[in-house]
Amino acid sequence: MQQIVSPTAKYVASRIGQAILAVLGVYVVVFVIVTVLPGDPVSSHLRNPEFNYSEDEIEQLLSYYHLDRSLWEQLGVALARLSHGDFGLSLSANRPVTAVLWDGIPSTLQLAGTAFVLATILAFGIAIAAFYLPPRFGGGLLRAFPSLFLSMPNFFIGLIVIDVFSFQLGFFRINDYQSLNALIYPALTLAIPASAPIAQVFITALDGARAEQYATVAISKGITRFRLLSRHLLPNAALPTLTIAAIIVGDLVGGSIITEAIFGRTGVGSIIELAATEQDVPVLQAAVTLAAVLFLAINLVVDLVYPLLDPRLRQVAATR
Amino acid sequence: MVALAALPRRTLPRRTLPRRTLRLPAAKVRIRNVYTAVALLVLLVVLAWALVPELFTGYDPNAGVPADKFAPPSVDHLFGTDQLGRDIFARVVFGTRSAVLTALFAVAIGLLVGGLIGLIAGFFGRTSDAVLGRLIDILLAIPGFLLAVIVVVSMGFATVNAAIAVGISSIAVFGRLIRSEVLRVKNQAFVESSYLIGGSRFTVLFAHVLPNAYRSVLALAVLQFGLSIISISGLAFLGYGNPPPSPDWGLLVAEGKDFLYRYPWLVYAPGLVMVASVISLNQLSKSIGRGN
Repeated sequence: MQQIVSPTAKYVASRIGQAILAVLGVYVVVFVIVTVLPGDPVSSHLRNPEFNYSEDEIEQLLSYYHLDRSLWEQLGVALARLSHGDFGLSLSANRPVTAVLWDGIPSTLQLAGTAFVLATILAFGIAIAAFYLPPRFGGGLLRAFPSLFLSMPNFFIGLIVIDVFSFQLGFFRINDYQSLNALIYPALTLAIPASAPIAQVFITALDGARAEQYATVAISKGITRFRLLSRHLLPNAALPTLTIAAIIVGDLVGGSIITEAIFGRTGVGSIIELAATEQDVPVLQAAVTLAAVLFLAINLVVDLVYPLLDPRLRQVAATR
Repeated sequence: MVALAALPRRTLPRRTLPRRTLRLPAAKVRIRNVYTAVALLVLLVVLAWALVPELFTGYDPNAGVPADKFAPPSVDHLFGTDQLGRDIFARVVFGTRSAVLTALFAVAIGLLVGGLIGLIAGFFGRTSDAVLGRLIDILLAIPGFLLAVIVVVSMGFATVNAAIAVGISSIAVFGRLIRSEVLRVKNQAFVESSYLIGGSRFTVLFAHVLPNAYRSVLALAVLQFGLSIISISGLAFLGYGNPPPSPDWGLLVAEGKDFLYRYPWLVYAPGLVMVASVISLNQLSKSIGRGN
């Protein structure tokens, strides 16, 4: 009466296990980087006269963070705490780090989600237009867009968005934090640089698929442009594009710091910015770990979805 | 054969000429692309600004003339003046050196550390690959800008530290590319032949693997140079670089943003200079990667 585990379930389980190990790895690596680098952020925070700690409080906090122990002991304590989802106490807010970050998560997820949708639409539009427009009608120019978007610092993009859409066109007021506009324009700021790699990979993949023999055969049999794109080119270009789109997610979290600062939104980005100014390292460590969890989770899902999209991969996944 | 005959005759014999003379890489650089030529021109100007800023402007970047404040761009003040009457063109030009040096420093860190990790992982394989490959994967899972922020926070706010932070956050990208390049070259027939005629591991590494991998690594380094300018100026924009009077590019935009509505050149002038430099670096990186 042996329980038979399907190979797919085994594969999924091992991938989830790897992802969890990777999250632990991220926490350890960040911990080591912060501890090994010159400068001890906790004591420089505590000894900052601005925050006015007494010697007793400093002693207490140092022993709470086990900063009087060796690196490995500190790491052990931190991991033991992490194992029940506790990232420690915030240095500046005197609240658990998880509670501090939790406040910002809904707003930032909304922003990053909208930005992701906008980036995909933008990338899709640019790629299809660049693929079909002949060079003299702007096809060549469109191919330069991803490179241009990649070359713009996102704080500059944010200020251009404010200047053009608020100051020149009057579409929204920058001191409006409630309406849909307060979401769309920051999301656009985040989406423009994020769309660049997606569009770039998509254009390359479309060109690659177009050069394949099946495309030539289909054209010689008189297929319409639309059917060529929807039946032959898109399915083949979709996989690399999906891969790069999943990788972009990490940049959205990083970009939210500057975007939220420019548009005055509160969220994980503004919490990170505040924590950075106050050298509140536990909050930063937790934020990095959460961003890595999001990144790894989305990439895991994408990897698991591949076989559903591409029949050629089904056999491979099943035998692994 | 018909197709060959149709070719202009001059191109045929040239290919058959034996090329045995040693040529420096620089001699091979022939610019065929107009965009690349423009990009190189922009980069030369930026480099000249970084080397000898005094030659390009008569204004002191830190001395303001209050009577001239918020002057729009004109012949006198190419990029206009700021809230203290300081010449923005002078501030941009004098900020170039710091932008170039810090980005160079960041790329050097990423290239050296990432290169070493990738080289060891790819070349020696087995355990070192298992460990270092995992490390690269882990670093890749951390959003680069976030990693840079946490590093600069734990080292203290200064432009040099921002450069180190950006360098550390680019280690993984370099490590991944160099590892895969080494793996690609390592399994080719000429490497096997070199071992067979008695080449040692280090002969193979320096005579075969590195020369064959350098082009794509160079392309990535140039690309990362531009991205480092963006990230370092992003950190400066948030105030994690050197404090205000310094004319860092990111800080110039940050200082100008409060005046965006009425005096937009305070933001656009330094911003567009940054975009022009980075897009030129991207173009250069692309043409290095393609090999022209």
